[in-house]
Amino acid sequence: MGFLTRIFAVAGNTVREAVRNRVLYTLVAFALILICSSILLSNLSYVEQGRILQDLAFASARLFGVMIAIAVGINLIYKEVERRTIYTVLAKPISRPEFLVGKYLGLVATIWMQVVVMAVAFAAVSLIDERPFDWSHVAAFGLLAMELALVVAVATFFSAFTTPMLAAMFTTGIWLAGNLTRDLMELARQTDVAYIVGAARALHQVLPDIAVFNLSLKASHGLAIDPGPEVLAPLAYGAAYVVAILLLASLIFQRRDFR
Amino acid sequence: MAPHELVRVENVTKDFRPGFGLRTKRVLDGISLSVQDGEIFGFVGPNGAGKTTTLKILLGLIRPTSGSAAILGHDVRETAFRKEIGFLPENPYFHEFLTGREFLRFYARLASVRRASREGRIDELLGWVGLSHAGGVRLRNYSKGMLQRLGIAQALVHDPKVVFLDEPMSGLDPIGRKDIRDLILRLREEGKTVFMNTHILHDVEMVCDRVAIIVEGRIRWTGRIEEFLADGAEPQSEVVLARLSPEVADLIEGRFGAVLRGHGDQVEVRVPHKQVEGVLGAALGANAEVISVTPIRASLETIFLSTVHQGSKDPGGKEQ
Repeated sequence: MGFLTRIFAVAGNTVREAVRNRVLYTLVAFALILICSSILLSNLSYVEQGRILQDLAFASARLFGVMIAIAVGINLIYKEVERRTIYTVLAKPISRPEFLVGKYLGLVATIWMQVVVMAVAFAAVSLIDERPFDWSHVAAFGLLAMELALVVAVATFFSAFTTPMLAAMFTTGIWLAGNLTRDLMELARQTDVAYIVGAARALHQVLPDIAVFNLSLKASHGLAIDPGPEVLAPLAYGAAYVVAILLLASLIFQRRDFR
Repeated sequence: MAPHELVRVENVTKDFRPGFGLRTKRVLDGISLSVQDGEIFGFVGPNGAGKTTTLKILLGLIRPTSGSAAILGHDVRETAFRKEIGFLPENPYFHEFLTGREFLRFYARLASVRRASREGRIDELLGWVGLSHAGGVRLRNYSKGMLQRLGIAQALVHDPKVVFLDEPMSGLDPIGRKDIRDLILRLREEGKTVFMNTHILHDVEMVCDRVAIIVEGRIRWTGRIEEFLADGAEPQSEVVLARLSPEVADLIEGRFGAVLRGHGDQVEVRVPHKQVEGVLGAALGANAEVISVTPIRASLETIFLSTVHQGSKDPGGKEQ
């Protein structure tokens, strides 16, 4: 099981780097401030203060989660190449896919730790304001964690062969488009033009369907959630998408020259 | 691969595409070389000659456009054999958020050094490179010389057979250079094979057994360092004489092919080594005083420069 030792060595090193990087703390601190400030903002409304509080708090967690995932993911491989730290690492008996997967897992572990911190803040804010916090909220954060893992995979993919600026643009574009493909399909269907419907369906199938990971509205409204199709299926979909994109990233990374 | 040959590069060519166009630039042009077990091999050439590209091909960081490279009989595109090689890059930049000990532990895990022997090996190496006191210090607080020494420890953490060093002395002060030179010589004592890229010729003379000279992507000369020095100009000596009359000076110049230079009442006579006896005979016979006789060793630098110059003028040069 030598490959696991190597992957975990790279992952552990990535976590250590993130933990010792103060910029990340600043971003998490901002997320926590926004989550906490949703108490104040929700009090500005006369109706449905509880729902608004949780909507705002969850939106803050999601927005900052995605920002952190993109900001760190785009640099994941690029920085190692730019600083030439990758030379000594790849001169050891570790394959390039092992290195890529290790870096990815390390970053996902870091981001999941931040999701846990944000979920705890969310629960605290809800409890302080006497709003419900039950398993549906936990499921919503679980799906957010999977969404961020997918965003990191997309960022890692681009980071494997392009500059951080381009990787940031592509990853943000894919995340935004992934949120909209369902709406696009709906719009295309209304046009009744075969090739537009076909193109919208192709986009929906190729791009990640980010909307499946968003359970926050249902959770904040206290609506019933069916665990099979609404939690487990999106988790499986996310995991499969991550594996596929990491395989593709490995193929490209394997052929790359480090000049 | 011959039984004692640890590194073999055969007819390797590498083309790069400098921009987005179709135009390519040839960085290596059919180079071949081999490194034998236990030797310190110097890969010498001016900046941009293709030294680092060759090293990166050997480490699997770059793929050759054509040709093949093997280490210990394994194609360099394989991964597992790298447990037998160590590498120190030029001007190394390591993960500066780690302490020296964490850094070596990370590389030991990558190289699958057993957990039981890991910490002992790290202690041993920190002592070996003189950094026992700095194991708990983060790398961002290391000096350049300390980083270079830690880089060597990193290259040796899994006790490899072959160690690749890219410009290990560049940018170091004289003390730092001496430290690294001593470490390289100790590697030889431990039976390691060292492949060293460098353009600091003094260090090549001090530590290398064999050298290959690369100029503009082509190897111009390969052989033992003493052969290289002998292969240059004929050895010369410098004889300093006093009280030398103009007639005798003309005689020495004409008969022995000497070059004369006057310094006050003394004359410096530079002649081929085998003519020294004749010059001394003529001078003493004319009652001149012999101040000194000094053999002049051809410096590697002089010969290197002439090889580089010849190489860039004549692509057919003294290629091997």
